[in-house]
Amino acid sequence: MRRVLLLVTLSAAPLGAQTIDDGLLMPRRTLGTGVVYAHDSWSQYWEGTLKRDNANIGTLTTQSVTWMAGYGVTDRLSVIAMLPYVRTSASQGPLHGMDGVQDITLAIKYQLLATPLTDRGTLRAMVVAVAGIPASNYVPDFLPLSIGLASRQFSGRFTLNFQAHQGWFLNGSAAHTWRTKVTLDRPAYYTNGQLYLSNEVAMPDVFDYTVTAGYERGRLCVPISLSQQRTLGGGDIRRQDMPFVSNRMDFVKVGGLVMYRGVRLGMSRVVNGRNVGQATTFTGGFLYAFSL
Amino acid sequence: MVLSLAVAACDNTITFSELLPPLEAASLDSSAGSWQMIVLSGPTQFTVAAPAADTSAAYTAELAAIKATQSKLTAAQRQVIDYWAAGGVLRWNQIVRGLVARYNLPPAPRSDGTYPVPDPENPFADPQFPFANPPYASRAYSYVAVAQYEALKTAWYWKYQYHRASPARLDNTIQALMPIGDLPAYPSEDAVLSGVTVEMLRVLFPAAVEEITQRAAEQRNAALWSGKAAASDIAAGLALGKSVAAVLVARAGGDGMRTAGGNPALWQALKDSAVARGEIPWISQESPPRPPMLPNFGLVQAWLMTPTEVTAERPLAPPSTSSPQMQQEVAEVKHTVDHLSGAQLAIAYKWNDGAGTYAPPGHWNDIAAEYIRDAQMSEVRAARAFALLNMAMHDAAVGCWGVKFLYFNPRPVQLDPSIKTVIGLPNFPAYPSGHSTYSASAAVVLSYLFPPAAADFEAMKEEASISRLYGAIHYRSDIERGKEHGARIGGYAVRFGQGDGAN
Repeated sequence: MRRVLLLVTLSAAPLGAQTIDDGLLMPRRTLGTGVVYAHDSWSQYWEGTLKRDNANIGTLTTQSVTWMAGYGVTDRLSVIAMLPYVRTSASQGPLHGMDGVQDITLAIKYQLLATPLTDRGTLRAMVVAVAGIPASNYVPDFLPLSIGLASRQFSGRFTLNFQAHQGWFLNGSAAHTWRTKVTLDRPAYYTNGQLYLSNEVAMPDVFDYTVTAGYERGRLCVPISLSQQRTLGGGDIRRQDMPFVSNRMDFVKVGGLVMYRGVRLGMSRVVNGRNVGQATTFTGGFLYAFSL
Repeated sequence: MVLSLAVAACDNTITFSELLPPLEAASLDSSAGSWQMIVLSGPTQFTVAAPAADTSAAYTAELAAIKATQSKLTAAQRQVIDYWAAGGVLRWNQIVRGLVARYNLPPAPRSDGTYPVPDPENPFADPQFPFANPPYASRAYSYVAVAQYEALKTAWYWKYQYHRASPARLDNTIQALMPIGDLPAYPSEDAVLSGVTVEMLRVLFPAAVEEITQRAAEQRNAALWSGKAAASDIAAGLALGKSVAAVLVARAGGDGMRTAGGNPALWQALKDSAVARGEIPWISQESPPRPPMLPNFGLVQAWLMTPTEVTAERPLAPPSTSSPQMQQEVAEVKHTVDHLSGAQLAIAYKWNDGAGTYAPPGHWNDIAAEYIRDAQMSEVRAARAFALLNMAMHDAAVGCWGVKFLYFNPRPVQLDPSIKTVIGLPNFPAYPSGHSTYSASAAVVLSYLFPPAAADFEAMKEEASISRLYGAIHYRSDIERGKEHGARIGGYAVRFGQGDGAN
């Protein structure tokens, strides 16, 4: 449950110049790098579609510190890297928190198109190839306290961006993510109405989209966004069961961010979901660019 | 790199660990009709009437019907045949493990902080019935295994009274669509298994009856369509299976399970008793506090032990909750869980077997199944192996639960709330460790059945047991005493096996 929320946390807490799902690129031979802290917590979650709390968890908190970097290879091609350290804890009950380095994400972002649209602004189209690989040997079988799902992921993303000369912008981005099977330490598991006599779990694909609107002028940028993730398969958490790595984790989330002179502060909130926590996330970080 | 990952991302096919080839039994076990019974008085407690002669018009018509069916078999029918060709005992064991995993979920609390009790009269409600927790699961596995074993020994007896061959053996125009050997077909062992198992599971997992009934019908169809059994072989087997099940169902109705959950007065008395002995009593660490799991399960009727023997085999008392030894053991738990290596963490999850899984006894059935498969045991010998294993684990549960609720000892988390667990905390007293008791009883029985693998079973038992310390849910003395207790209980099943005539 955590991991998927984290993914969005990261993409919603961008480098000033660019994120995986925005319509911007780093200028050629420019390196942007920085660190973002995220505090993500929920006290209610969806057990399948049933919204509930759980006094044996109380509030589930996930904190992460993510190193991010973006580099402009050319004016049309950027590469992006991210690596988070994640720590989880439950405010009530006996369950042990977990912590560790989660997944390293590498992305290649290519601008297909940048063209004036009417006399009001510029339309850009981007494609992004993203790969995520677990960067440590963490345990995915202790949700919601696991720090991630331990699957390798590969995404193809398409982004359309309109930047008005007055400073307003509108961004739409959608991605399909393929995920590799996950290997558990145990020889069998039950999910989606069936006992599997295997230590391997097939992971359903994920579709997500984000729509962002905002204002950018000088070193100030204020985007607000609506995003949705849909997992294309997987079972629900059963009544009074723990979450499972291949659950159908869906959510709709709204968020906002203020970026000024390389410093960013953001907040987001899950408004609806399935097999995920109703998380509220605060982010804070900084990014500085260097010409090389 | 991105491209290579794209290729790797396509690799989402999982490998199954327990594939079952068609069963070609290493031995007919033609003397199994004389092997010792457990619950039945003997193989003639139920009489199977003589079949019609091979040359009778009725039987000839049955053979013609098989030929007609085989001439237009669908792909779906062939799949059913292939599935059940693996052997009914192994297949049903897999199915029961799935049922336990499906039903092994505790009731959710009500908004007033109380918990509803699963109701066998209303099994489809929330909470579903049963809550197939570890003691319930051990009992369910054992009833299915014993019922199958008793029914198959009876079937073997009558098979060798009548010596009627399989249709595919009698008539060379009938194909053998699964391995069909020299075992007499009347009564059909597949039909015996379908009848005895469905009646047993109807009681143990009533909400799954529709699915179970369908599986059982498919098993009989597989025997018929494959040329292994004729309609009269199947009818006789089905009736015999149901008759034997009735004996086991009656036993289950009076074995003490119905009152194993206790009541608020009992729960309070257990606490008062511990306080009166000067000990800190177990308190549920769940929120809201949940009544303890099956406090009277220790009074459930054992398979191979008398109540006196159950009491006599118990370990001594745990260290006092106020003793220096207990303080040391609490400190060991805390130090262990806060300094777990990756390998230790993996062991904790490998043997977690908590809510939503097939439970610790299911894990040992999972282990046993591959040895039974590889030994190519006949159906009746496979049933014996699962019966010995599951009787031992059931009796281990009875013995262990009796001790748990005699001492009502708190979990590490209760004595030191700064201890956090990396697996779910079971909602019943600590001493002794159930997983250690189950595992030791299972390892003793499996080592008897498969001597060359004894060292492997011993290593698995050790790993399963110590996993509870890594998980921070047990003290070391829970584990050590549990292993010793379980091994003693497993000895009863081994001694039964040594004298049952099957060797």
